[in-house]
Amino acid sequence: MSLSTDPVPRRRCLLRLLQGSIAASIAAIFYPVVRFLWPRRATVSGAAEVTAPFTVEELKARYARGEVPPPFNFDNKPCLVILLPDGEIRAFNAICTHVACTVAFRPDKKDIFCNCHNGVYDLNGQPVSGPPPRPLQAYKVNRRRLPNGQEEIIVSRTA
Amino acid sequence: MSHAPPERASPIVWPRSRWWAFLDERLGLDALAHLAEKKRVPVHRTTVFYFLGGMALFLFGIQIITGVLLSLYYKPSPDQAFESVRAIMTEVEFGWLIRSIHSWSANLLIGILYLHLLTTYIMRAYRRPREFTWITGLVLLAMFLAFGFSGYLLPWNQLAFFATKVGTDIAGGVPLVGKYVLLLARSGEEVTGDTLARFYSLHVVILPLATLAVLAVHLYLVQKHGMSIPQPVIRQCGGEDRVPSIPFVPHFLLRDMVGWYVALGLLAVLAALFPWELGVKADPFGSAPEAIRPEWYFLFMFATLEQTPSHVLGLENKQAVVLFFTFVGLMVLLVPFLDRNAERGGSRRVLNFLATWAVCAFIVQTGVGLGLLDFRLTTSVAASGGAAVALALGYLAFPRVAGREYRS
Repeated sequence: MSLSTDPVPRRRCLLRLLQGSIAASIAAIFYPVVRFLWPRRATVSGAAEVTAPFTVEELKARYARGEVPPPFNFDNKPCLVILLPDGEIRAFNAICTHVACTVAFRPDKKDIFCNCHNGVYDLNGQPVSGPPPRPLQAYKVNRRRLPNGQEEIIVSRTA
Repeated sequence: MSHAPPERASPIVWPRSRWWAFLDERLGLDALAHLAEKKRVPVHRTTVFYFLGGMALFLFGIQIITGVLLSLYYKPSPDQAFESVRAIMTEVEFGWLIRSIHSWSANLLIGILYLHLLTTYIMRAYRRPREFTWITGLVLLAMFLAFGFSGYLLPWNQLAFFATKVGTDIAGGVPLVGKYVLLLARSGEEVTGDTLARFYSLHVVILPLATLAVLAVHLYLVQKHGMSIPQPVIRQCGGEDRVPSIPFVPHFLLRDMVGWYVALGLLAVLAALFPWELGVKADPFGSAPEAIRPEWYFLFMFATLEQTPSHVLGLENKQAVVLFFTFVGLMVLLVPFLDRNAERGGSRRVLNFLATWAVCAFIVQTGVGLGLLDFRLTTSVAASGGAAVALALGYLAFPRVAGREYRS
């Protein structure tokens, strides 16, 4: 039996054990707190497509009255639908690529404009002037004839 | 702490590095370190009582942290309150743990505060010049009871709804101003969504701010006057400065922290084994649920309310009970001024007998509230009074057991 009688290694070992248990306690306290803070899982999954709350004919009528319908909810993001003079319909994710404000269609200026920092996009969603770094995300548009003769607008994610 | 403490344990050695010098020049750390070194805690046979204040402070810290966490998911409206608490219990990860710890810690905190009050009385720590420490302490106790009462409504379940209805109705029993107290507390004649918003604001804004302010005064007074030492200990040691003591930092603080660590473990165990119930959503037009009763720390008043006849001395039941407990509370508040022999270290037998009776009555009435004892009011008064007389006789008959040899 030749056990070391030097108290220093034993003291160091005890110190390491103490430090280890303090670290373990702190981890045990913070782990549930961090998990609690983390956002809970969304209960509604994102939609793949949505029907616009207006038909092509209604959109035309509103433009004629000088109104521009605001963006609507598609997959929890604002969706902007615009009707071009030639009858073509385009849809974009209305979140500005600069710092995520919601853009608006300006029929008189024939552009898409962001009020927050004066970002201007053309009607293809390409940035023209101001701070936006990338084009707006475009959506696919389908039309479906309704029994009453009007056409509804169906927006879906591309690809 | 049965071992004999060193007469003067060496204070902590603070690291005085270049960083320390840099910070000290800007923040005055040396002055703080000096304060910490100076603070000492007397060591005698009731030193263990000194841990209760620190324990209450620790549990209050737990309440702040878990309360802030709960507020991240809680929605104070009658349409959403119950659902949001249900989501905390079922959807949010570890939400059940945070909420259960908040509820259990609240109950432990009130229990510790009751003990803190009792041990402070036993040590006669309220005597000159610490009267305001006693009074601010009682104000804090009242505030924590208000915390418990207001927090109880927030989950908007059937129990909470009726507890609030009954509790505010009793407050309405205060003579003369009762009607206005009730309207103010409920924000209307009934318990509605406005009551919930009011209790929420009280629970998370008004009471925390007020509590921190009063707590600051309480702690300042404790620092200013130092720990109170029981008179028999001072007499035995032959002077206050000859009572053995240990430095607060780190000796006492480390012992404090051991207690806190155990408390945290206990809270985790309680929360895991007995997660707090949610019950069913409040229905303002439903009947009161069966076996409804308040939290244990209000049970003694609840039981007294139940036992008291419908009319007492021309007063209605709730008016008489409210008046009685207001009177008792006032007497407790005035203890430092009622104990007129305190400074000379003279006897306080009358006060001690009444205090013993009060504690016995608290225990008996809590038993009645829990349904363990089937007593009428007269039985309760007699039983608690009898117990107090028995304890007093025991104290006179067995001085050694009662620890009176200190008086030699």
